Amino acid sequence: MSPRDAAPDLAPPPVSPAPAPAEPRSAASSTTTTSVSAATTTVRGDGTTTASRFRARLRSWRWPAAALVATLLAGAVLVSLTTQTSTVRFAPDNPSDDGGMALAQVLGDRGVEVVHTTSVAEAIGASGPGSTLLVANDYGMAEDVARSLLETGAEVVLVAPGADLLAAATSQVTHAGTTSAGAATAQCTDPDAVAAAEITSYGSGFRLSEDSTSATLCFLQPTAAGPPVGHYAVAPLDGAADGQTVRALDDATALTNGSITETGNAALGLRMLGQTDRLVWLLPEQPPVGDEPPGLAGMLPPWAGAVGAQLLLLVLVTALWRGRRLGPLVTEDLPVVVQASEATRGRGRLYRRSRAYGHAGAALRARSADRMAQRLGVPRSAGADAVVDAVARASGRPAQQVGALLYGPPPSGDVELTRLATDLDQLESEVHRA
Amino acid sequence: MVLTWRAVVLTALGIVPVLLSGDLGMVLVWTVAVAVVAGGDALLAASPRLLAIQRTVPRTVRLTERAQSVLVVTNESRRTVTGLVRDAWVPSAGALANRHRVSIPPGESRRLTTELVPTRRGDRRADRVTVRTLGPLGVAGRQASIPVPGVLRVLPEFAARKHLPSRLARLRELDGQAAVQIRGEGTEFDSLREYVIGDDVRSIDWRASARRTEMVVRTWRPERDRRVLIVVDTARTSAARIGDEPRLDASIEAALLLGALAAKAGDRVELIAFDRTLRARVAGAAGPRLLPALADAMAPLEPALLETDWPALVGLVRERLSQRALVVLLSTAEPAALETGLLPVVEQLSSVHQVVLASVADPDEAELAAQRETASEVFDAAAAARTELERIAATMVLSRRGVEVVSALPDDLAPRLADMYLSLKAAGRL
Repeated sequence: MSPRDAAPDLAPPPVSPAPAPAEPRSAASSTTTTSVSAATTTVRGDGTTTASRFRARLRSWRWPAAALVATLLAGAVLVSLTTQTSTVRFAPDNPSDDGGMALAQVLGDRGVEVVHTTSVAEAIGASGPGSTLLVANDYGMAEDVARSLLETGAEVVLVAPGADLLAAATSQVTHAGTTSAGAATAQCTDPDAVAAAEITSYGSGFRLSEDSTSATLCFLQPTAAGPPVGHYAVAPLDGAADGQTVRALDDATALTNGSITETGNAALGLRMLGQTDRLVWLLPEQPPVGDEPPGLAGMLPPWAGAVGAQLLLLVLVTALWRGRRLGPLVTEDLPVVVQASEATRGRGRLYRRSRAYGHAGAALRARSADRMAQRLGVPRSAGADAVVDAVARASGRPAQQVGALLYGPPPSGDVELTRLATDLDQLESEVHRA
Repeated sequence: MVLTWRAVVLTALGIVPVLLSGDLGMVLVWTVAVAVVAGGDALLAASPRLLAIQRTVPRTVRLTERAQSVLVVTNESRRTVTGLVRDAWVPSAGALANRHRVSIPPGESRRLTTELVPTRRGDRRADRVTVRTLGPLGVAGRQASIPVPGVLRVLPEFAARKHLPSRLARLRELDGQAAVQIRGEGTEFDSLREYVIGDDVRSIDWRASARRTEMVVRTWRPERDRRVLIVVDTARTSAARIGDEPRLDASIEAALLLGALAAKAGDRVELIAFDRTLRARVAGAAGPRLLPALADAMAPLEPALLETDWPALVGLVRERLSQRALVVLLSTAEPAALETGLLPVVEQLSSVHQVVLASVADPDEAELAAQRETASEVFDAAAAARTELERIAATMVLSRRGVEVVSALPDDLAPRLADMYLSLKAAGRL
């Protein structure tokens, strides 16, 4: 035996490979040399230029980019179309019952420029001679803050002022501290109050101080004794050079959206705030309550935000580092996977579903008889009797029993079918042993 | 543009100034600084598209053997190329260590070798070569994937070649080398030679002896120069999996063994692969060129999900063969496929040629037929028994029309077919 017999060679007989051509090369070119045993290809670049790659990138990104721009535009339009609202009491942008939006909008419609602010500094910057400064719900403003606020030269309207603010504005009016709610009539000479005639207020009322000379008190409470108590007071602003006045209303409820249409509330509100073309609507922010426990943000050190942002950047850079694959994935053309025995299993399942005990039993019997007949040399053309005789002789069983097993009535249930199968196995093993 | 771990470290270093200043503005400053450094580094990196890449790959390799894909990368830019080169192949090409770290000064070349251990027969294609070049700081770089075509044809494993030596020995027993002087079926006249003591006196050629002074005997040898046509069926039934591989692979093994054996026996071997059209053909190759030609033709064969066009196939065979030949059909003895496909037309072949149907049997079927545990298993067994009976019936019909049927498990098919060939040869039925 030659060694070539033992290891036949599938590779073709060796042929000397052709030498690779040495030719001048241009950019993005490709040459292929094929010899019998090996193939050589040379490639230079991928035929693209910076401009073509840019165009291709633009083409592939154009729809996502367009979608992004469209989304941003739609968002911007939506934001600009929806007016910002708040839930702060008596705020000019609060449309609920306790808001002041109705009053602010009517004033705006009448040509008054309404400037809403929550910052005292901003309010000072925005107001000046020829404008009206509304300070509402000041929550006990400090006296120096109040004083600087009142020195702007604007007409001053105080709604539910704190004691310090009221004292800084005028010394002629003080808080009465009584609680009497309900409708009150003007009962004074102030033209605004006379125009309003009647208002509904739930405030604690004002009282004129003893050294009062030029202050007016309106909408008096029907008190039995003592000095009169009113819901509305008009007095000259203390220390004002140009004779500005202070108008004070003891409660904002009369001017809120829910109550503005009642009695003369609207008339008083519009006249009081609409004296000038410019209205600065100051709702000082509620100062934080001292003992409130600090939130999570309060417990973090001040540099936490910056470090967090830097860590976020780090995560982004790490993702870019790890996320860039070294070339695209390569796919494999996989062949179909069908198990050859699938058809037979399917047929078995069909038998089972249709409960074809007869068919199944017949198949098992026929296969068994065929195998035993072959073993015993009975020709395939022989009849049933010849097979039964031969099998009975070989196994030593009575012919009747063998006949019943091989050609008996079909099984009618799971148990009978299983018993038939095992009985046939038993018979076959006896025949094969013989 | 790509970033490296250095860019991550650079970003991480930014935590120190951010911590010291505690300012969001510092984050912005550092982000811009990292972006500028990375962008500048990427701009200074050599262009991966200015490389000349030459791929050399062997044309063929036998399954289970190794091949090498060699890339010669020449730097044609004016900057030094530092970075990574990935030689991507389809997964079944088995290119495992395909990433190469390179540093190529301008004008120089580097040779990068990727080991390929193919796991599937057929044409395995190379994908793109991805080049990642880094800037002088190694913080960022540029990347491009460049298609560099390459095809490695993975030939069938031919594991059945271990059966070849024993079959060749049997062939030599048939052959004159093992002193065959008995005239009989399957032999033809070889030559006259001088009588030596011990030769059978019945083989003395008296007429020739009369013309000479010495006694002359006739020697006989098995028939030679018979034609063998191997038909590989690549249709739907060849796609079915038996064990781990499709029927087609077992057919290919059997075809290779038979081809090798028949070529040694001096027969002329032809091969066609067919489903509805001709998929491969080998004709006119002889001697040492036959086996490579067979392997090369069958390597890219894939099962097609079509029904075999038997009438067209029979027509093709009749066209190819003018004289009596051995036609080996490597298909399947699946009863349903046989009844509608081969049986109606087989007589046109078997009346002229010796036809052998070689079929890959399924060990699962035998397992199915033997199980008895539950009622549903018995139903499966009954189905297997019915299929077997139908197969026996179909086989009998084929035998009656003069077709020999070889049905064996995938590993046994090749040697069993070789034995069938030898017995047919010994019986002079070629």
